[in-house]
Amino acid sequence: MKRSRRRSVVLSIVMIAVACLVGLPFYYIVVNTLKTPEQSGRSPLGLPTKLYTENYTGVFHTIPIVQSFLNTVYVTAAAVALMLLIGSLAAFGMVLSKARLTRLLGAALLIGFVVPFQTTLIPLYQDLAKAHLVDSLNGLIVIYAAGAIFCYFLIQGYMRTIPNEIIEAARIDGAGPFRIYWSIMLPLIRPILVTVGVFQTMWVWNDFLTPQVFISSPTKSTLVLQVYTAVGEFAVNWPLFMTMTVIVLVPMVIFFLLMQRHIVSGLVSGGVKV
Amino acid sequence: MTAATDVITNVDGTPARGSDARGPVRRLPWRSSASSVIIYGPIIAVLVVLFLIPLGQSIYYSFTDFNGYSTTAKFVGLKNYASVFADPSLRAALFFTIVYTFATVIIVTIVAIPLAVILDQKFRGRNFVRSMLFFPAIPSVAILGLVWSFILSPLASGMLNAILHALFGLAPVPWLSDPLLARGSVIFVAVWAQAGWHAVLYLAYLQSIPRDYYEAAMIDGASTRQQFFYITLPLLMPAMLISQVLLTTAGLKVYDLPFTLTKGGPGYVTFTITQGILQNGLTLGQVGQASALSVLFMVFVIAVLVTQMVLSRRAEGRVL
Repeated sequence: MKRSRRRSVVLSIVMIAVACLVGLPFYYIVVNTLKTPEQSGRSPLGLPTKLYTENYTGVFHTIPIVQSFLNTVYVTAAAVALMLLIGSLAAFGMVLSKARLTRLLGAALLIGFVVPFQTTLIPLYQDLAKAHLVDSLNGLIVIYAAGAIFCYFLIQGYMRTIPNEIIEAARIDGAGPFRIYWSIMLPLIRPILVTVGVFQTMWVWNDFLTPQVFISSPTKSTLVLQVYTAVGEFAVNWPLFMTMTVIVLVPMVIFFLLMQRHIVSGLVSGGVKV
Repeated sequence: MTAATDVITNVDGTPARGSDARGPVRRLPWRSSASSVIIYGPIIAVLVVLFLIPLGQSIYYSFTDFNGYSTTAKFVGLKNYASVFADPSLRAALFFTIVYTFATVIIVTIVAIPLAVILDQKFRGRNFVRSMLFFPAIPSVAILGLVWSFILSPLASGMLNAILHALFGLAPVPWLSDPLLARGSVIFVAVWAQAGWHAVLYLAYLQSIPRDYYEAAMIDGASTRQQFFYITLPLLMPAMLISQVLLTTAGLKVYDLPFTLTKGGPGYVTFTITQGILQNGLTLGQVGQASALSVLFMVFVIAVLVTQMVLSRRAEGRVL
């Protein structure tokens, strides 16, 4: 008993130290946003001697970060809503229909599951350019709609666990397909919608490759792209860059704290993402 | 005439029952074409517009000398495929991407499984440790790459160099400008960012292993080490499959981290396949060559995944 308690204390100390070491980069950037450039150069890890907030006001003055934030919110919300809608509709049809054609479609959707984005990227760029959707937030949403196929696979797996009797009962009561989808199916599959939604939100919000390729004007930039561009511009002013990073990280920290449980369950059920 | 026949008989030739003919068919209401269009239309559009057409285009471009602007593309056979392997930067990309994938799969697995076992035990501050280790998986990898590029900056003012100088009086270490150190740094940051996430994945599976197994093993006199190797590890096989498939695909497709950390440099030592596709196809206008690379890449990714699935199925069959 005594031995196991000592073991747990040692474990506790070692693991908290490890966790602090892992979190050190985050401490480093937060601390340095509150220092003047020369102060952070002199003691990168020390606490600031007095509160210096000019970095924060500086970021809001020099970079259209609010605009980028709104852009990112718009793209993420629209893209995730769209892919959940498309994916769940298809899953709904697929689960309830046993026709050969729908089964064929299910097999065809596997293509969308295994083809890497890298392989379709260049033609997509040209096609979107022709459709005047390059350097446009809506163009980004179109690209992200590709995530609907991943949503479809996860949602249909979950839908198969919903007893068919519920659907039958609704049908006998005279509900049409969309009434059944909207008022019965969607509320029943809420857990998987949240899980997949959280997963896809993180993907779209954090994505760098797509905006980097498809967005060129600063006013249409997403947050991640904005930070990347600004680093190129303010290469020498580290505290300014770190301040920007902290501002970008804050929504993610809040999201993490609120959604931690769902992120973990999504990680387990979404493990099949290819 | 045909319309009349349609009314009289069903497709399979059974006599129709007048106005009730549609009754039984409507048992599946979404059979009506209008609702089918709404239900299946969007996902078919996604599949065709965002996957099938561009995939066809990529394959087509890979056999032509298309440069992104020309209106006439000439068929050049397998020339683009040959040029992929002749291009030193793409060869470097292929090499580093494979090294990166192997390294992250192996190191993350080796770190994550023991970490999961530790996180499964009771100790004070466990939730804090779990959250802290998991957190690097939340922000954008591109941002993390930028943060680390400041920490590992080869200049004397880089955080790590400043600390090493203050503690040991070391001269600035070229973390990101020495070929070997740059590769090591990219892999290290990748492990830092992913190990906690994969540990939590393993943890979820660990917690589903019944405690009785361990009790029975303890009664039979199995040591902690034996319990780990003969109970925990075999039962973690499904989690290992998922984790390694995730790591492999993420590894082969890697772009954000090396790009933001080192820009692919110094030279081309941390250049990745994705960066090669982007650079050659979009910046340099060598669409044919980039498409050939992207098609090869797809075949490679699918082949690796299938092999991994088959191998782990076999391993699973042997253990359980």
